[in-house]
Amino acid sequence: MPTSSSSSSSFSSAASSSGNRQADVFSRLASSDPEVKLKALREVKNQIIGNRTKKLSFLKLGAVPAIASALSDSECNSILVQSAAALGSFACGFEAGVQAVLDAGVFPLLLRLLTSSDEKVVDAGARSLRMIFQSNQAPKYDFLQEKNMKFLFSLLNSENENVSGLGASIIAHACGTTVQQQVLCDAGVLEKLVILLDGSLSQREACLESLATVLKNNPEAVSRFVGLEAGRYLSSVTELTKDRYPRTRLLSCLCLVVIYNTSPSYFLNMGTKSSLVTTLLELLNDHGQSGDDAALGLSSLIAEKEDLQKLAYEANAIKNIVDILKTGSELHPKRLQGLFLSLAELCSKLEDCRCSFLSLEMLDLLVNALRHKNADVRTAACICFRNAARSVKNLSAGRFTNDHVMLPLVQLLHDPSSSVEVAVLGALSNIVLDFSSPKSTFIEYGGIKQLIELSKSMDPNARCSALRALRNLMFLADNKRKELFYSEVKAQGFVSLISDPEPTVQEQALALLRNLVDGCINSIEFVFDEDGLILDTVGKQLRKSPQAHMAIQGMYVLTNVASGTELHKEAVMQQLFPQPQAESNNFMLKFLQSHESQLRSATVWTIINLISPSSPGAHDRHVKLRDEGIIPQLKNMVNDACLDVKIRIRTVLSQSMSFGDN
Amino acid sequence: MATSKKVITRDEWEKKLNAVKLRKEDMNTLVMNFLVTEGFFLFPYGETAEIDLATITDRMAVKKAVQNGNVEDAIEKVNDLNPEILDTNPELFFHLQQQRLIELIRQGKTEEALEFAQEELAPRGEENQAFLQELEKTVALLVFEDASNCPVKDLLDISHRLKTASEVNAAILTSQSHEKDSSLNPKLPSLLKMLIWAQNQLDEKAVYPHINDLSTGQLQNPSE
Repeated sequence: MPTSSSSSSSFSSAASSSGNRQADVFSRLASSDPEVKLKALREVKNQIIGNRTKKLSFLKLGAVPAIASALSDSECNSILVQSAAALGSFACGFEAGVQAVLDAGVFPLLLRLLTSSDEKVVDAGARSLRMIFQSNQAPKYDFLQEKNMKFLFSLLNSENENVSGLGASIIAHACGTTVQQQVLCDAGVLEKLVILLDGSLSQREACLESLATVLKNNPEAVSRFVGLEAGRYLSSVTELTKDRYPRTRLLSCLCLVVIYNTSPSYFLNMGTKSSLVTTLLELLNDHGQSGDDAALGLSSLIAEKEDLQKLAYEANAIKNIVDILKTGSELHPKRLQGLFLSLAELCSKLEDCRCSFLSLEMLDLLVNALRHKNADVRTAACICFRNAARSVKNLSAGRFTNDHVMLPLVQLLHDPSSSVEVAVLGALSNIVLDFSSPKSTFIEYGGIKQLIELSKSMDPNARCSALRALRNLMFLADNKRKELFYSEVKAQGFVSLISDPEPTVQEQALALLRNLVDGCINSIEFVFDEDGLILDTVGKQLRKSPQAHMAIQGMYVLTNVASGTELHKEAVMQQLFPQPQAESNNFMLKFLQSHESQLRSATVWTIINLISPSSPGAHDRHVKLRDEGIIPQLKNMVNDACLDVKIRIRTVLSQSMSFGDN
Repeated sequence: MATSKKVITRDEWEKKLNAVKLRKEDMNTLVMNFLVTEGFFLFPYGETAEIDLATITDRMAVKKAVQNGNVEDAIEKVNDLNPEILDTNPELFFHLQQQRLIELIRQGKTEEALEFAQEELAPRGEENQAFLQELEKTVALLVFEDASNCPVKDLLDISHRLKTASEVNAAILTSQSHEKDSSLNPKLPSLLKMLIWAQNQLDEKAVYPHINDLSTGQLQNPSE
């Protein structure tokens, strides 16, 4: 058995550079003498294992195809083992290596090794295949084909731990859809996987990973898993969260997070929830990949769950996370993303969290993250800003509206990534609600123009978010701001926004318009610009049987317009009852009968403003409304289920009485 | 003193003990398991063991190689045993490379050491910032004329070899670990703890000969 390596002998020739040595080994790979070839293979393998730099340089030399030939041409077990091991190492955590290995057609060669009679050959093949399946570039495994399923189960049934681990790895990385999950469960994969829980460390870890994939978002699969031996395996997984190996703790936590997010009813016990949160928090301190994954796992666990956010807050999560972020060392982008998302979730509903977070001098760090080269990190930082800005106290203290924060945020409005755009719009939407500052840095930075640009984006999410930000910007805004905004949009621009193909965008556009015309009476004039183009469009949209949410905003626009002068009120009547009417197209009646109380309410408000007794034409308008069946309809609604609606109707009816109505 | 505890005499107790049947194979396995996990090199005790001796001797060979300063040899052996270990343990790999450098310096091969540091260690620092500090410490050895008297001379100490050896041993054990398969967990200490616990429990109910000295296992009369 060769023990010495040739690299130490080549050290003695002082003139040879590492490049020469590598070229030398490389040429010996192609030797026809099996002894020489074997030695060269071992050398390459020993040089590249653990050494990313060497992997890259050997890759460039073309080592992978050379080793692939050795693998395919040889019958000698030692050569098979060494070449498989070398190829596996190229594929280990090194995407360029995985690609090279797959391109060289190694995959079927490795599969063949699994049927060898030599255990070492099988091991080498299984390990290397597992490395390939850790990567996203691994071939898609079609579980739906019967022969593939059979092969998969033959792997899972194997006594060899590397082979059964490979089976679990294939599932972990290739199972994505509900259909695949179903097919696997029906074939009995859960029963096979849980056996691995009692096996070796690597089997346990492979099992936990694959369980998480099969159970994710699939309540049926989860219930099947929990039902196995009356919950024994759920207990096992829960036990493993206290295992001595950090990676096992992490993978079992991630498995539980999947189960919790899919079927929370299995976690009624507060103790389990609490220990899950604290275990993940501890794992955040792990320097390796486990720590990266723990951060994302934590954010997924506490997302939208106020009780867990509270638990985490009480377990000192904010301080722990901030400490990690402040260590100053280069954190992996995945970890940064996970940490910022966790902070964002913590700040999503709890004011204590927001205050605690903001008191820790975090803004600089957060602002730096806005400039990170990774788009996911920038997005996460924006979401963090958005949620922290929900703190009215801190917002009005001007924490977010200074140049230091505003400028980088506004710059992100140009970000190439659409997820960043949407996220920063969300943050700005909240920040512009700062009423305490009379002048707005945002507007000074040309924010309005940029938002209007984005309202024309190809991405409907971006359009929607931009309009939401504008809507907030126009809320209780002064005339100067409104004029500035309107001058950039004009009537035609508004018409396009209100007529957007996406209903959610239409809704935001109408809400924006509602805020624009709200307030002083002059604001109402906007809708009359260019011969009442905007008002006509609103009327048109309302006549088209819109969705409730859109209709609500539209009716509030009419309400606000109807709160103005006599001319304004008459214009609204025109929209409600256009002449001539083709068919009985009384959308007001429809709205009054809607299930949405807000829509009923908004419609009633419009009526209140139209017949408010102080205006001269109120009586005639009242007659018209009565004749169209609106007033009678209201009489039927005196006992409306919604208190707000009931009160408004009473107001209308009392106004009605004052006209001497019977 | 009147006692409600049952009294068992020396004779009775010894009779009871002799009545317990133990299999010789079980005892052999227990002892071997202890010796092996504690790292004593040994020859197999016949076919009684359930332990996979091949992996144990391989692991011992790696540990020994590092302890003797043959780090390159150790690396090759680890890679033969399981190529994943060094590929997935950057810290361990760095420490092994670091030890290689230390050995070169110890042997006075300064030029080779410099080349090795540049070619093999520096990239580790580039790949992973966490190693930079330790890297700088190690390279500092090259700077001093008399490395054995410099501020970082601890690195040259044999104990550093042992530390590295122990790290690699632990990694191999982890990769081979079979929690339910008892072969790699020492059982002897747990059994002795259980003996002491059982005696404490029985003390509440009976008076009987104790084993007070675990190393001799001598029975001592209750009155003694």
